[in-house]
Amino acid sequence: MLKKEQNDYVTQTGPGTPMGELFRCYWIPALLSEELPENDCPPVRVKLLSERLLAFRDSEGRLGLIDEFCAHRGVSLWFGRNEDCGLRCPYHGWKFDVTGQCVEVPSEPAESGYAKKIKLKSYPLIEKGGVLWTYMGDPAKQPAEPEFEFCTVPLNQTFSSKRLQENNWLQAMEGGIDSSHVSWLHRGDLSSDPLFKGAAGNKYNMADLAPVFEVVENDGGLLIGARRNAEDDQYYWRITPWVMPTYTGVPPRGDHPIHGHFWIPIDDHNCWAWSYDYHPTRPLTDGEVQAMRDGKGIHVKYVPGTYIPLANKTNDYLMNREAQKAGRTYSGIEGIGMQDASLQESMGPICDRTKENLVGTDNGVIMARHRLMRAAKALAEKGVIPPGVNPEHHKVRQAALLLKRDVHFKEGAKEALIAKKGVRQTSV
Amino acid sequence: MLSESARVTTAQEAAYRIQYPNSKRRAAKIIALDKTSAKIVDEVSRLPWNGASFFTSLSFSAKGSPGAEGGEALQAWLNDLAGHALNLVAEVASSDFVVVITAAGEDARAVSIIADACKLHNKTLVGLVVPRDGASEDAVSESLNHLRPYTRMLVVASGVDYVEAMLMALRA
Repeated sequence: MLKKEQNDYVTQTGPGTPMGELFRCYWIPALLSEELPENDCPPVRVKLLSERLLAFRDSEGRLGLIDEFCAHRGVSLWFGRNEDCGLRCPYHGWKFDVTGQCVEVPSEPAESGYAKKIKLKSYPLIEKGGVLWTYMGDPAKQPAEPEFEFCTVPLNQTFSSKRLQENNWLQAMEGGIDSSHVSWLHRGDLSSDPLFKGAAGNKYNMADLAPVFEVVENDGGLLIGARRNAEDDQYYWRITPWVMPTYTGVPPRGDHPIHGHFWIPIDDHNCWAWSYDYHPTRPLTDGEVQAMRDGKGIHVKYVPGTYIPLANKTNDYLMNREAQKAGRTYSGIEGIGMQDASLQESMGPICDRTKENLVGTDNGVIMARHRLMRAAKALAEKGVIPPGVNPEHHKVRQAALLLKRDVHFKEGAKEALIAKKGVRQTSV
Repeated sequence: MLSESARVTTAQEAAYRIQYPNSKRRAAKIIALDKTSAKIVDEVSRLPWNGASFFTSLSFSAKGSPGAEGGEALQAWLNDLAGHALNLVAEVASSDFVVVITAAGEDARAVSIIADACKLHNKTLVGLVVPRDGASEDAVSESLNHLRPYTRMLVVASGVDYVEAMLMALRA
């Protein structure tokens, strides 16, 4: 449990809040590249960390993320015309470039210099791995670009999607490091999902529904190891890395692409659940990409033309009680992503952690909260750069492997937990 | 018309959640396995707790462990902060969960006796390894190896602050 003030501290990410300031130390995913597919394409409304913004790609391909509203009369620039290296407000013709600089105020003589004195708030937007990333913090402290492996492999080896999740980011992220729910909520999917099934390691999951956990700190966050009994005096380990504040990696299965998530706050009641899949050494097959587009694995089907899941709260997540009763799905909800999201949204917009009753196996969640609060405090009081900002911390990999029972997983899996270019994932 | 899930997951609806204590006070037993962790337990015990009991050492005279095959009946005691020696098996029996703490590199073998008592009464055993200044990775590994066979959850804590945070999170 958390006290109310702790719960507020760790869930609020708007400007000026401690956790908001923490998030503003990192590059975070803002949009998929496909949302700004070409020069002068329509701008896209973006809300991140409780700030209303607008993204656009100008005539020369430069990317901009600026205050959504025109500095003149407060009109949304989403209605703007993206043309001639800037976004022009349709109301009175004021024009802004990708840095938010006003470059034209038609009612004022150009020679007056009036436009130069108008500038909208803007944040850098960079493209990497099919994702547009932004940094919303102090420009003087802008870190080096993200180096997560999924965004550094060739584009034909990686696939990312995002979906709207209507609850606070933290309860969504906590699901990603709470490995103990997998044996229950997702138990039906190991043998049927095309992006999961067939891995040799699945037999250990199915045979042992009560894994034992070890949690250790890592440079960028945590390593959460779940072990199950295996043959010949060995344990089958599934190791989940968490990189602060919100990146998680799901341990791999066989040669399937490896996947994981980011949960990025939109505001305190909504977040984007980002899902990535990649393979370190080979292109994704057409079948794999199609499965991802079809909402298999950790991805979802969308309401057409949106990033809203097709199964969502407005249709009761397409609850199927018959499938639940028959055991085809454990909760009655189809698909791993929505199995998680449906339950996390049911907690309410912000989970009331004053009422929860955690148990020992929730230590991954407890430690993640502790690290987040500790880092936010150190940042606020001493200006300490938090873990996970340094791109070296991003070069961690999830792993699934067999180890002798007397081997500490952090040592035994040391090499497996490092992302190395051209080296296949360690998986069973 | 809005679906039920859409209607009931708003912030407004969250206000109608019933406010009442949904759990009873639970008995956590926190046991130091060595002298260094005894100091940690002593320090942590001074905070206000919700029924947790703290023990700074274990003493035993059994030829075997309580609950283990061939082990003698109750021959082990937990020593609390007031200097009382309390029956290990009885303390474990009256607990809801047990936490053992060891400092990295210290002798943590006493965990096996506590684990036997936990096994006897089917109680969850959580292990915390607290790094000491200058403790090597090998020392941490050694401590983990001692605890691993017996614990449902094993954690390398960042320090005393994490011991406090974890116990508070568990409503100890």
